Amino acid sequence: MLAALGAAIAKDLRLLARDRASLVFLALAPVVVITVAGFSLAGLFGAPPGGARAYVLPVADEDGGRLGRALREGLAGEQAIEIRPVAGSEAARALVRDGTAGAALVIPPGASAALWAGRPTSLLLYTDPVKYLEVANVGALVQEARHRLEEAARARAGHRLAVTRHQARAARLRFARSSRILRRELDRLGAELAAARSEGARQLAAAHAETEATVRAAAARQAGALRVRLAAELAPLHQFLAQLAERQRAFAAWLTDVKARAGRFADRLPPPPEPPALPSGILTLDPNALAERLLPPGDTSLDVRLPRLELAPPPSLPALDLPAFPEAPPARLPGSLHLEQVSVTGAPSRLNAFDQNVPGFSVTFLLLGMLLGVSLGLLDERDWGTLERLRAMPAPFAATLVAKLVARFVVGLAQMIGLFAIGRVVFGVSLGPEPWALLLPTAGIVFAATAFGLVVAGTARSRDAVLPVGSIVIVTMAAVGGCWWPIELEPGWMRQAALALPTTWAMRAYNDLMIRREHLAAALEPTAMLVAHGAAYLLLGLVLFRRRTLGRV
Amino acid sequence: MLWTRRVVASILSAVQAAIVVEGLVKRYAGRVALGGVTFDVGSGEIVGLLGPNGAGKSTMLSILATLLVADAGTATVAGHRLPDAARAVRRAVGLVPQQTAVYPTLTAAENLRFFARMQGLGGAAATAAVQRALALIGLEGRADEPVWRFSGGMRRRLNLACGILHEPRVLLLDEPTVGVDPQSRERIFAAVDELARAGAAILYSTHDMEEAERLARRIVLLDRGQVAAAGTAAELVAAARLTPRLRLRTARVLPEHWLANVDGVRALGGTGTEAVVEVADTAVVPAVLRAAADAGGDVRELALHRPSLADVFFTLTGHALRDDESPAAAAG
Repeated sequence: MLAALGAAIAKDLRLLARDRASLVFLALAPVVVITVAGFSLAGLFGAPPGGARAYVLPVADEDGGRLGRALREGLAGEQAIEIRPVAGSEAARALVRDGTAGAALVIPPGASAALWAGRPTSLLLYTDPVKYLEVANVGALVQEARHRLEEAARARAGHRLAVTRHQARAARLRFARSSRILRRELDRLGAELAAARSEGARQLAAAHAETEATVRAAAARQAGALRVRLAAELAPLHQFLAQLAERQRAFAAWLTDVKARAGRFADRLPPPPEPPALPSGILTLDPNALAERLLPPGDTSLDVRLPRLELAPPPSLPALDLPAFPEAPPARLPGSLHLEQVSVTGAPSRLNAFDQNVPGFSVTFLLLGMLLGVSLGLLDERDWGTLERLRAMPAPFAATLVAKLVARFVVGLAQMIGLFAIGRVVFGVSLGPEPWALLLPTAGIVFAATAFGLVVAGTARSRDAVLPVGSIVIVTMAAVGGCWWPIELEPGWMRQAALALPTTWAMRAYNDLMIRREHLAAALEPTAMLVAHGAAYLLLGLVLFRRRTLGRV
Repeated sequence: MLWTRRVVASILSAVQAAIVVEGLVKRYAGRVALGGVTFDVGSGEIVGLLGPNGAGKSTMLSILATLLVADAGTATVAGHRLPDAARAVRRAVGLVPQQTAVYPTLTAAENLRFFARMQGLGGAAATAAVQRALALIGLEGRADEPVWRFSGGMRRRLNLACGILHEPRVLLLDEPTVGVDPQSRERIFAAVDELARAGAAILYSTHDMEEAERLARRIVLLDRGQVAAAGTAAELVAAARLTPRLRLRTARVLPEHWLANVDGVRALGGTGTEAVVEVADTAVVPAVLRAAADAGGDVRELALHRPSLADVFFTLTGHALRDDESPAAAAG
C-alpha cells in the first residue's frame, strides 16, 4: 500500500514537473497577478508601495509664501503623492477636470500672511467625486501635512512661550533676590542712620556745650575788654557830659545875663531850647563803674545760651514692601487634538498593499491550481483510461486517489510557501511576529483547496465542465472570501455568508498574523475551520467522485 | 476416437479454464447489457470476443477486470470467484483497455515502472518486468522518450506492455490494435501469441474479424448481451451454413437464366454487368465460367469469396447500425 502510494505520489509529481503550463500557472502566473494587483489595488490601502505610480497632486500656490513652501516640503516625503506645481487655481481645477488628478490643492493669496498674523485661513482642495479613494487618500495626506505644519507652528510658539516664561521666571528670581538685597540694605541704612543721628546728637550736644563754654569764655573776655574799652570810650563822653553840664550852666547864666540885658525885651526873647537834663548822677558816674555796670564782670554776667540744635530726625526710609514679582501666568497654548490610531495589536496603521494581495492571490491561485491539479488531473486520468487501469490493479483505488491528493497538497504547500517567500523578498510583505505560524492556515487552506478540487472532479461531468464551473466557484470564493480586497468592504450579509467559505478563514488568519501582527493563537480557530471545511469537502468529494467514477462503464 | 479426443480436450479445458463465465447478467438502469452469458477461456488459449457496439463486450471485460459487478451469474477468473475475490483476481489479471491508458508526459519506462509498482512489483522485479515488457513490444530504444512523441502504434504497444508487466495468468485485451500501423499490429499479435504460449488465458475483444480469426482459437460472438455463437472460426462458419460466393464482372449483361444448366449453384443477383453466384463447392467454378462464356458474358473479372467470420458476424448480427447500443449509451 505504502509503496503504491509512494509510486503514485512520485508519478503525480513527475506529471506536474513535465507540465510546463501548470508550472507556469502555479508559480509565474500568481507572481504576475500579485504584482499587477498589488500595484493597481494599492490605492485601496492608501499606501502605494515603492515603484507604484503615485497620485498626482496639482498644487497652485497663489500665495507664494512660507505656507506653500512648507506644505510642499511636507508632502514631498509622501510616496503616495507626486506634487505637480501649477500656475494657478484654474490650472489645478483643469487637471482635476481632465482626470489627470483626483484632487488639487490651492493655497489662496495672503494665506501665509494671514496665518502668521494669527488670523484663520483656509486651503482649497478641488476634488473629483468619482475618484473617491484617491480623494480620500490625498485629502488625508494633505490633512496630515497641514496638521504637521500646525503642529510645527504650535511647537515653535510653545517653545517661544516656554523661553519667555523661563526668562520671566529668571527675572522674577532676580527681582526677588534684588528685593531681598534692597530690603536688607534699607534696613541696614535705617540702622546706620539711627546710629548716625544718635552720634550726631551726642556730638551736637558736646559741641553745643563746648561752644557755649567757649562763647562764654570769649564773651567774658570780650566783656572785660569791652569794659575796658567802654570805660575808655566813656571817659571822653563823661568828660563831654561834664563839659556839657558846665556849659549848660554857663548857658543858663548867659541867658540870665542876656535876659537881664534885654531888660524889657527880655519877655520877647523866646525861651531857649531846654537842654536835656542830664541824668542824675551820670556826671558823677565813674566811667569804670559805668562800664562795670554795663558789663558786669564774671561769666554769670554773660548768659550765653546757644540755641539748642536739634538734629532733624532721619528721614524715614520707605517701608520696602515690594510686591512679589508675579509668577508668569500659566499661559499655555491650547493643546491640539490628535487622532492617534493605535492598532490594538501593535501593528502599523498603514499597511503594505502586498500584505493583503500576496496571501489573497496566493490563495486564489492555490484554488485554481487545485482545480487544474486535482480536478482536471483526476478527469485526465479518467479520460486517459489510466484510472480504469489502476482500478483493475491490486493497489487500492484509494491509494491512487490519496496519492494524487497528497501530491497536490505537497505542491500546494510548496506553492504557497514559495509565493510568500517571493512576497517577502520582492514586495517586503510582513510575515508577522511568528512567521512559522503562517504554516497553520497555509496547511489548512491547502488541505481545503485540495479536497475542494476533489469535489469539483466529482461534480463535473467532463473536463470541459471543470473550468467554467470550477473557476466560477473559485472566483466567487476568492472574491467573497476577501482574497482580492479587504472583506470589510463587503456588506454585512455578504460577510456573514462568507463564513461558509474556506477563503474567508484563510484570509482572516493571514490578516491576523501578517497585518495585525498577532501570534499563533489567532490562527488556531481559522485553521480549525479550514480543516473542518477540508474534511467536509473531502468526504463530499470522495462520495461524488466515487459515484461518478465507479458508475462509468 | 476423434470424439474421445474432443471430450478429453474439453474436460482438460474446463479443468484448466482461467476464465469461467456462467449465466452472467448485467443491467444498466433496466437495460440489459449482458443477458446470461456463458463461456470459458482456458489457460494458454486466446478467445476472441466479438460483437457489434452495445453487444456487451466492454461490460464483460469490465466485470472480469473487477471494474463492474455482475447482477447475476458467476464469473471465475484464475480460480477466484468474482466479486468476492476481486483483489486476488486483480493480481492475476492484466487489463489492456481500449484507450491507450498511459501518461502522455511520462516516458515509456516511467509509465511501465509506475504500473509495475502499482501491480505490486518491487524495485528489482519492477525493473526486470519493465525491461521484459519493453523487449516484448519492441520499444527498448524509445524507453526514455515521453509518450506524447509516440505514434499511435507505439502507444498501443506500450498500452499492451502496461498490462502484462506482472505476467498475468489472465489477459483481457479490449481492441488493442485500433488505429495502429500494420507493423505495430504484427508486433502486438506476436506478443499476444507469445503470452498465450506462455500460458496466459487471453480474452481478446475486437471488432476486427480478421484478427480474431487469425489470433483466436475460439470465438465468442456477443450480440445484444447474448452469446450469438461460440466456437472456432470454422465451426462458426459451418454453423452459419454459409457457402462460398463467386463474383463475376462481364463485358455484357448476362441473360436471366444463364446458370440454368449448372448444378450446385444459385444466382444471388447483381447489378448490370456484375453477377454474384453462391456455389456449394468451389469445384463448380469452372462450370460457372463456362456458362458465363456460353451466355456471351465475356468474363473480365472473377473473385471467389469463401465464407469468413465477418460473414458469420453479419449473418448473425445484421447490418443495422448499433450506435444507440454503444457502451456510453448503455451506461447512461
